[in-house]
Amino acid sequence: MINKEQHSSSFRDPSGYIYIEDNILKRKIHPIYFKQYNKLKNSSFFDKLFKSGLLIKHKEVSVSESEIIIQPDQIPFITYPYEWSFNQYKEAALLTLKLQKFALENEFSLKDASAFNVTFHNGNAIFIDTLSFDFYKENEPWRAYKQFITHFFGPLILAHYHGSEMLKLMGSFMDGIPVKTIASLLPFKTKLNPFLYANIHLLAKFEDKHNDDYKGETKAVGLSKKGQLNIIQSLYNSIKKLELKETSEWGEYYNKTNYTDAAFQEKSKLINTWIRNINAKTVIDVGGNDGTFVRQINTNLTQALVCDIDNNAVDYNYKQLKKNKDSFMLPFVLDVLNPSANIGFNNKERFSFLKRISEFAPDVTLALAVIHHMTLSGNITFEMSANFFASFSDHLVIEFPKQKDSWVQRLLKSKGEFESHFDFYTLENFKSDYLKYFNIVEEQTIHDSERVLFLLKRKNGKT
Amino acid sequence: MYLLYFDPGLGAMIIQGIIAAVAGVVLFSKNLMYKIKLFFSLVKKEDDLFDDINIEDTDVDNKTNSDK
Repeated sequence: MINKEQHSSSFRDPSGYIYIEDNILKRKIHPIYFKQYNKLKNSSFFDKLFKSGLLIKHKEVSVSESEIIIQPDQIPFITYPYEWSFNQYKEAALLTLKLQKFALENEFSLKDASAFNVTFHNGNAIFIDTLSFDFYKENEPWRAYKQFITHFFGPLILAHYHGSEMLKLMGSFMDGIPVKTIASLLPFKTKLNPFLYANIHLLAKFEDKHNDDYKGETKAVGLSKKGQLNIIQSLYNSIKKLELKETSEWGEYYNKTNYTDAAFQEKSKLINTWIRNINAKTVIDVGGNDGTFVRQINTNLTQALVCDIDNNAVDYNYKQLKKNKDSFMLPFVLDVLNPSANIGFNNKERFSFLKRISEFAPDVTLALAVIHHMTLSGNITFEMSANFFASFSDHLVIEFPKQKDSWVQRLLKSKGEFESHFDFYTLENFKSDYLKYFNIVEEQTIHDSERVLFLLKRKNGKT
Repeated sequence: MYLLYFDPGLGAMIIQGIIAAVAGVVLFSKNLMYKIKLFFSLVKKEDDLFDDINIEDTDVDNKTNSDK
């Protein structure tokens, strides 16, 4: 990118913007924000948040009269709200409230509460918009309150009642789910709960009522700091306790597999050897379930992206990593058949999964027990999936369950009369199509199973 | 001056007084219930995934080494 060219996602806040220089993300601060920035810096506000790991650390690069340049710690892979699991989403919401409380105690206030100000790094949610803090004005209500409801509380409460799939709505409503929509989707009984009634239903009514006040005739109403702290504390308590209603606990996947323990051990041993041989430090597991397999890897990985289509599996993984402090793992929700797209203005505000992953370029991709789902459930041909996998990493560890595998059989049976259409699903065809994009480095049949494990290396020029 | 670049929602600004009042009542009654339960030793220690809203100094110490 050209020097100091404003990043296409950073145009809303007049306080400054981010840009990329020599592949490093930096932030330019305009004079209009100098006063706030200096106060935050000199009052150890930033320091305390850096130390607690709640705000992304930065260092000052240069200071002049017309601009201050800071360089934040670089985050290798950004995930977006619509890719988070339920508890990740919760943590991001709680983080935002924590920051607002801390800000208020130090005479500051968050001027926005966008869910896109948070991402995950080193096993925790972290706030990445350094310029979001502004001076608190005595008796002023929280300007970002509605944004907090539409970006955080709304999606979470919808997920509570209707399942974690609701969190994906943030991909369509980038500026938050409209309050009216949230209110209309919630069951009637939520109107009987004073807390939910006030924060959602009444809010929707008030917003509706004052929608037409273009002249600004309505007088603003003051709110004491104590009052605002009450709102924040009660939202915090309520969100912290939120659970999904769908209690289907994840974690039984590995009991349902057709693997023997020995086959599982053999598989993980092979993968470990291969990963060591190619000296891989970064990995993406595209059907990683709850991260069981990545936890078997005993080399020192710096970053492991563990994706799954099932929000519950990702959530289970996330809870595990919080307990074990597996800070190198980054779980998120990914539907391989429909990865996140480029969205926003000019389609350049939030980036597609493919754009982000090809920039991240993991040393190796793991695709274990994935290909039969892509091919048989998704009707993705071998050539198409080979092309997909070749687009972001040099090495691919892929497991091919042969036709006789019980999972494959189950998927084939569900096709009914259409079953013969999938006669192409053979090891030979798989190999010949994948060889267009990759060379085979290793090929191993797993004992006591109908599965073959491959280590493939991308052919030159096939990116 | 606020650098305001999105609509905070007029209704949302006005309503916060009411919400704060509701929140006050909710917090007060929850707190009361907690104290009553505490008195009768009914409080179970929960193993929470997330800590409370305050940024503790212990947090600060714990996390300093977590960045690689």
